[in-house]
Amino acid sequence: MVCNRLVGQPINGRIIGGCRRAWSYLQKKEKEKPLSIINANIYKEDIVDKHQAPNPSPLYRLYHVPLERSIGGFRPILHIAEHLHRKLSFQTDIAESDERIEALEALGVLLLVDLEACCTAVYLKCVTLYLKDELLGLAEEPQGDPIFRSSWLDMDVLYRSGETPQGILTYCPRLISVGYQGTLGSLSSSDPLSYRTSQSDQSGIFTWSGNVTRHMAEPHKKNLFLQSLCEDENSNMDSTDHPFHENFHPQGQVSDKDRVECLQSGVNCWTDFCKVQYHPRSLYELHRSWTDDQKMDHYGNGVDVLSHSLHGEEMYERLRFFVEECDHIQGIQFIVDDSGGFSAIATGFLDDIVDEYVNTPVLLYAVRSPCAYVGGKSQKESFSRALHDAISFGRLSSHSKLMVPVGLPTLSKLSSALLIEDQKLFHSSAIYASAIHCASLPFRMKSPGPTAESVYTSGATDMSGMVQFLAGQGRQNMINILDLAMPVPPLTDQTNPSPILQSLCSLTPEIVEHDDDLHATEALNIYGSFSGGRRATVGEIEQHINDAYQNELRRPQFCHLSAASCPLPIPLPFPSIFSRRVGRRGELSECSLISGDQPRGSLDVESVPMAARLRSTSAVKPFIERRLWSLRRYGLERGAPGVELLRSWGFGREDVEDMEEALAASVAKLDPQAYASEEDLDSE
Amino acid sequence: MSLRVLNPNAEVLNKSAALHMNINAAKGLQDVLKTNLGPKGTIKMLVGGAGDIKLTKDGNTLLKEMQIQNPTAIMIARTAVAQDDTSGDGTTSTVLFIGELMKQSERYIDEGMHPRVLVDGFEIAKRATLEFIEKFKTPVVMGETPDKEILKMVARTTLRTKLYEALADQLTDIVVNAVLCIRKPDDPIDLFMVEIMHMRHKFDVDTHLVEGLVLDHGSRHPDMKRRAENCYILTCNASLEYEKSEINAGFFYSNAEQREKMVAAERRQVDERVKKIIELKEKVCSSSDSNFVVINQKGIDPPSLDLLARTGIIALRRAKRRNMERLVLACGGEAVNSFDNLTPDCLGWAGLVYEHVLGEEKYTFVENVKNPHSCTILIKGPNDHTIAQIKDAVRDGLRSVKNTLDDEAVILGAGAFEVAARQHLVNNVKKSVQGRAQVGVEAFADALLVIPKTLAENSGLDTQDVIISLTTEHDRGNIVGLNHHTGEPIDPQMEGIFDNYSVKRQIINSGPVIASQLLLVDEVIRAGRNMRKPS
Repeated sequence: MVCNRLVGQPINGRIIGGCRRAWSYLQKKEKEKPLSIINANIYKEDIVDKHQAPNPSPLYRLYHVPLERSIGGFRPILHIAEHLHRKLSFQTDIAESDERIEALEALGVLLLVDLEACCTAVYLKCVTLYLKDELLGLAEEPQGDPIFRSSWLDMDVLYRSGETPQGILTYCPRLISVGYQGTLGSLSSSDPLSYRTSQSDQSGIFTWSGNVTRHMAEPHKKNLFLQSLCEDENSNMDSTDHPFHENFHPQGQVSDKDRVECLQSGVNCWTDFCKVQYHPRSLYELHRSWTDDQKMDHYGNGVDVLSHSLHGEEMYERLRFFVEECDHIQGIQFIVDDSGGFSAIATGFLDDIVDEYVNTPVLLYAVRSPCAYVGGKSQKESFSRALHDAISFGRLSSHSKLMVPVGLPTLSKLSSALLIEDQKLFHSSAIYASAIHCASLPFRMKSPGPTAESVYTSGATDMSGMVQFLAGQGRQNMINILDLAMPVPPLTDQTNPSPILQSLCSLTPEIVEHDDDLHATEALNIYGSFSGGRRATVGEIEQHINDAYQNELRRPQFCHLSAASCPLPIPLPFPSIFSRRVGRRGELSECSLISGDQPRGSLDVESVPMAARLRSTSAVKPFIERRLWSLRRYGLERGAPGVELLRSWGFGREDVEDMEEALAASVAKLDPQAYASEEDLDSE
Repeated sequence: MSLRVLNPNAEVLNKSAALHMNINAAKGLQDVLKTNLGPKGTIKMLVGGAGDIKLTKDGNTLLKEMQIQNPTAIMIARTAVAQDDTSGDGTTSTVLFIGELMKQSERYIDEGMHPRVLVDGFEIAKRATLEFIEKFKTPVVMGETPDKEILKMVARTTLRTKLYEALADQLTDIVVNAVLCIRKPDDPIDLFMVEIMHMRHKFDVDTHLVEGLVLDHGSRHPDMKRRAENCYILTCNASLEYEKSEINAGFFYSNAEQREKMVAAERRQVDERVKKIIELKEKVCSSSDSNFVVINQKGIDPPSLDLLARTGIIALRRAKRRNMERLVLACGGEAVNSFDNLTPDCLGWAGLVYEHVLGEEKYTFVENVKNPHSCTILIKGPNDHTIAQIKDAVRDGLRSVKNTLDDEAVILGAGAFEVAARQHLVNNVKKSVQGRAQVGVEAFADALLVIPKTLAENSGLDTQDVIISLTTEHDRGNIVGLNHHTGEPIDPQMEGIFDNYSVKRQIINSGPVIASQLLLVDEVIRAGRNMRKPS
């Protein structure tokens, strides 16, 4: 049903866009050709990671005008420079899925759009994307573990294929990423398909016959990882005649180890470790004039950005472009860093989406990095922060079908098998991205048919099914908790009857530790866990969870289990965050496998089994209550200090009252008595 | 002894230091933008760290590209950008004018004059200039059929400062025709009804006006026609997609027949909507060789597309929201929100609908429409930065034509207004002012000359010579502007150089306000960042 323009030889054999991995996958898919070695071992060469806190460096120093007329030693500076800083922003990722409506099988492709906002979000998206890419790559690896080779994942859910005006085939994620100008590092927003900076050759000016002044910014230096990506691309172009030269490296002295180290030590920008290629419409830069780099810390900032321009419309247009291509849109996955002004921008965007795509579920992840919890201690700052949290939560939750707040103040205590440095955005985003990736796998599983069962996977569902399941039953609570276990312990453990359930820890902050809600619903996803020394089959996993819940005292009302025998592959740019207890295939051992105190990264660990769980339970009550309390305390009470502030953000008293009502209603739903008494009423 | 409670990290500038910081910031910003002004200005090419190119000659764009950190410079930049928001042009002039006001004031302040006195003079001079501009403007009667020549001259004046002459002249016709096309008597002009579409294809001179619409997508079914003539257009905003029910439900069936039935039942709602469209098509297209095109703002799923394609209907899904309005204006008919009461009256008409494919991009042209009240400017160019620059220029051109239609007046350009206003202030107004405020009036009058001066400077002429010859010629009783080729005085009316009345008025209005505010600052306190160092 989907017009496929991919048939035919790529011109000159050049491949740009998508990930090459993806390309090779496509190539195989389209032509049923045995995979030529073109891409076979790229994956070990190309990935790199990054982290580190925003490090502002000028994108281009347009002018730096010191005015000599200084008086009394005072030198006024008009500093006009484009700043590169990486307060990132937000991304929409549009996924198309082959998910079929039961009764209408054989119909084309569904779509799922994902939006992300802000720094954490973009980092995160980037990791999620390369994780997906990695899976594709592993599927093509001839010597690889057969478990990766099964084509149980449908990548068309998230990717689109296309071609550039030069006729080069591309395979890009369906995604919109919104960030501030200057946050793209060495990636060019107008030509993101290419890793090379090759625009200088087309700098001819046709539109002006007069004088020209040129202001060049210092080109961004590419780190070793990006350099290797460029080389790959170039060698892809040169090596069309002899594709077997893939193993030939012009600068063979640069090893993977160097690349990993360079990422470990310095990631300034998410593009430093990003190996995915984007569609030119994917990256959207918000022009922000003359505001402070650091000042994007509350809701009001974002309101200003949207109100003064056509940004909202342009972002919406880009979304429309991706949606138009999809035969069925499965849903929109929206990732936003809600710790700053981006929540306002996201709200504006969601307004449009909800208006236009009425029945399309929006799955919203509100993510924040550990850095977001570090802040000024002054009274004014703390109440404006509390109000911001309340407002952005209230606004965002009213626009989505399912909302998952993610982001702990510290990740270092998450698991003894992980060594995470909180101040490195790169580390935390890797964790969150893995969790989100894992939680979204059911949307992308290929189901062989309504009744047939796959050997590799079980529990495929679509986004609306999942949203319905989690938010539409029981308490109808749409604020969910995300739990993660990475790596997952083996299924067999004499001392512990339910190792997986116990190893899951929450990534959502401010919740009740012990969940005793009898009306909870949950969706549990388990990938590639071990049983004894080997991979557990899907059946074993199902059986195990079933048994585990039999033994538990507190069981959720419903549990949707989806399982796959394939673990999470660890690509090269993945940060080194595993402790020495983690083995090559992600197995856990009691003692350190090797000596030394270096954390293990993608070179030592090929894949990890993992589990993620979305829970809809009353344990999230304190999270909502706190926001409700701050809204009442600072925004509504007589003489509340935040009334002025709220007004400057565009909220009148009535808006705040409405929001308070909505929050109070969602708290009431979580009251332990509420649902039970309703049921009693029903039965009467 | 007085006590100050202040953040110990805050930095304080007072008295002349504060004032000079403001003056220097204004001058600094002026220096940056000065070279842009006029048809001989310099184009700026900004190359980013990732190799992306931005070409601009527009003060507005340039200011937005710059990361300005000085608080005074930000104030000025905001005023200038607000100028662009309200009147569509004059950003560079505003910055220059403010900078020059500050520069002139500095002369007097250094001699010991109090800023307050200057500010009073500014106020008087501003009022006098605003009165003068009413007398000076050239009224234009618009009526039913506006004088196209005068509109073209205004548009040309704007465009020639942004693009080279041949292209500017080509675009002049395009923007004037575009605005006249969407203009409806008695209604305010909505420039959004001019769609600006771009294609990375061919050359800048291939830019043209399409009387009709260009949509940036095509049909999604291989069997639909790529070109159709005599088309009925149905514009709608109603979903033709199967939507899963909100309730979880399963199907149980025991044989294929049952299943087929259930599939059909589930889709019935959507299919019925499609059938209504097909019925309407049969009705209107039965006899003639006409075609039928559905343009939907919502989605159309493949089974529906298939049904439509089988009856020869062309269907486009997910059209732009604004295009719904534009389509109705261009083709007639009305946009329908449900298919319940479809009548032939809802339909619009277009003589030609065809698809143009560029790589993976598809464009659908809807042309030869019945009553064009909406049109598309199709910008072409070989690369993105050329397209972006033409786009900016076209926007400015459209605004200038719209302003002329709204103002029903124009102002003579090429610096003629500034010279005339300056002479008026110096010769008449200054004499009527009592006391030291005279100095303020004089500073204001001299500051006005920044426009002709900068024009001369950018053309490589001697500013003093030019100003003297202009003022001499003016005192002979002629209204004169600057010929930037020769430096000789010319009559702008003869040359067809006209500026927007509202733009000039706005500059005169906002410039002195911000300059006065800045002059009266005598203390700057700033916490958190060191003002003396670039961060």
